[in-house]
Amino acid sequence: MMVIWRVLSRSGFGAALLVVLLLLNIVLNPARFAPQSWGTLIGLAAPLVAAALASTPAILGGRGGIDVSIGPLMGFINAIIIAVLIGNLGLSDPFVVIPAAILMGGTIGLCNGILAAIVRIQPIVATLGTYLVLSGLTTTIVPAPTGSIPDWLRTFSQYLAFLPPLAICIAWWGVRRLPYYDQLMATGSDDRAAFTAGVNVPLIRLLSYVLTGAFGGIASLSLSALIGSADPNVGPNYTLLAISATALGGVSLAGGRGGLTGAAIGAIDIFLLQSALTFFNVSTFVLQVAYGAVLVIAVSSTALHERLFLRTLR
Amino acid sequence: MTPVLALFRRNRMLGAILIAILLHICGTFLIEGYSSPFSIRAMLVLAALLAVASAGQTLVIILGGIDLSIPFVMGFANVVAAQLTGQGLPFWQVAGIVAVLALAIGAVNGALSSVLKIHPLIVTLGIGTVVQGLVLIWTKGFPSGSAPPFVSSFVSIGGSLGPIPVPGLIPALIIMAVALVLVLARTPYGRKLYAQGGNPTAAPFALINPVAMWSVTFALSALFAAIAGVLLLGFTGSAYGDVGQPYLFQTIAAVVIGGTSLIGGRGSYVGTLAGAVALTEINTLLIGLGLQPAMVQAALGATIILLVSLYGREPHLGTTI
Repeated sequence: MMVIWRVLSRSGFGAALLVVLLLLNIVLNPARFAPQSWGTLIGLAAPLVAAALASTPAILGGRGGIDVSIGPLMGFINAIIIAVLIGNLGLSDPFVVIPAAILMGGTIGLCNGILAAIVRIQPIVATLGTYLVLSGLTTTIVPAPTGSIPDWLRTFSQYLAFLPPLAICIAWWGVRRLPYYDQLMATGSDDRAAFTAGVNVPLIRLLSYVLTGAFGGIASLSLSALIGSADPNVGPNYTLLAISATALGGVSLAGGRGGLTGAAIGAIDIFLLQSALTFFNVSTFVLQVAYGAVLVIAVSSTALHERLFLRTLR
Repeated sequence: MTPVLALFRRNRMLGAILIAILLHICGTFLIEGYSSPFSIRAMLVLAALLAVASAGQTLVIILGGIDLSIPFVMGFANVVAAQLTGQGLPFWQVAGIVAVLALAIGAVNGALSSVLKIHPLIVTLGIGTVVQGLVLIWTKGFPSGSAPPFVSSFVSIGGSLGPIPVPGLIPALIIMAVALVLVLARTPYGRKLYAQGGNPTAAPFALINPVAMWSVTFALSALFAAIAGVLLLGFTGSAYGDVGQPYLFQTIAAVVIGGTSLIGGRGSYVGTLAGAVALTEINTLLIGLGLQPAMVQAALGATIILLVSLYGREPHLGTTI
């Protein structure tokens, strides 16, 4: 009993909510959660999970680090690979499209990182500017939903749906093995102390934005697989969902605390909540109230949990 | 660094004012009728609406927080005011109800953020979403009603206040701006605001109650957002729940372009006014040059980045130790 209590108190509200929502969903809608429909289910959740995973490195860097442009980034890369690469240029080979998506994401992340870490514009303002530029460019390139996806990309919303988020997790597992990870968490916790200890804080932050952008490129593959075309309107919605998911999962917006596991848990929580409420056939307005209320309650509970339990660890 | 640049570095607000003037001169050369009386009145009204919405955001950012619920509260005030006016309530009752509700929403935002030490970005986002959802449930998705006639004439571009050829909104905004600047500079609340934002660790030792400061400031922010929502109702004539969506980022942009730092403890409303005018000039100039709305949005983003990188840069970490 004490073991269970200790595990629960360490992992926080997000994980507890996950268990509750999962049970609720399986009881309400067993058909949707049957093993044969796992592929489709994961395919529906994958873009959100990948987006939440992608937005975490920038937040971990601290000092208000955040990437508000993650949604439009996904939409922009979606538009480029489907409308331009596959549509206009006819390059639909996976070994061309996947590296192109990651490279574009990384480049946009590099721009964000230069603005936030080198030019030292406040990250929310810098990424807001990028948000507006990317969403405007996407709508200009693809005014209306168009194009279709090749078959290998469609599998990313079916039986291979777990692959893009898994790829991000494996890449991050590799990053955690590097000294870079410790320097990133040090920068996020106390950037002045890290700086005086010799950490190259601007470079570390720059690289965190590059990682965010590259992971966002992978997330855009999940998104493209799900919507099946180039759509300029879908991307921006993912920004607020992704950041809410990371906060719900216990990643501190001040940096230095949390990880990709928390972000994934938060994203799955939001997906399961939407799934459960949709089953009750409530109007989208009630869904909206519930989503906002759960967000506030979850973040409040995480804060209370930190104050009550984690104090004993210090 | 030349003395001129040093002056702009120290006083970011001057930068915003200069940019606004430069943009207006560009516009006058590039676009026919840019400086016609109607055009100037229209730009003044649009800038005034943005300035009212950004007033609350200024206070919150000086405090060291951020308010993402402004667009949702604007939509709430817009729809509720229209519904209640359509049901026949007199304007002062409508205004009173909307104001009290807005103050309550803001107070909840501030209290939750400061008591539980949650980042206001998430709290205001969540509360804002809840408010918008509740309003949509109340109106069943179909907002109805009309604008109070007093507000419509107050905001209309063609209106005039006695002999002055501007609608009543402009002089009212000037009075509000003067009052706000005086409150920030001369009252205990203003002092405490800058103190709390500048050094949150030291403020309690100066007997400043952080929970009270946060609750009051966020309540004021919601009140200004509600006022902007009602003014927009008069401007467009019918209720629309998403009327505040463009203002989510535009208020932040106006405050930051006006020289207020997101870290807190610095800034003034005059800067925000200049920022609002500059943003309206950019928007009008780009639309006047014939860009598609999507390209206007992209150019707006690029311009914000350019302006802030000119004079809104944060100091290097090495200088803050």
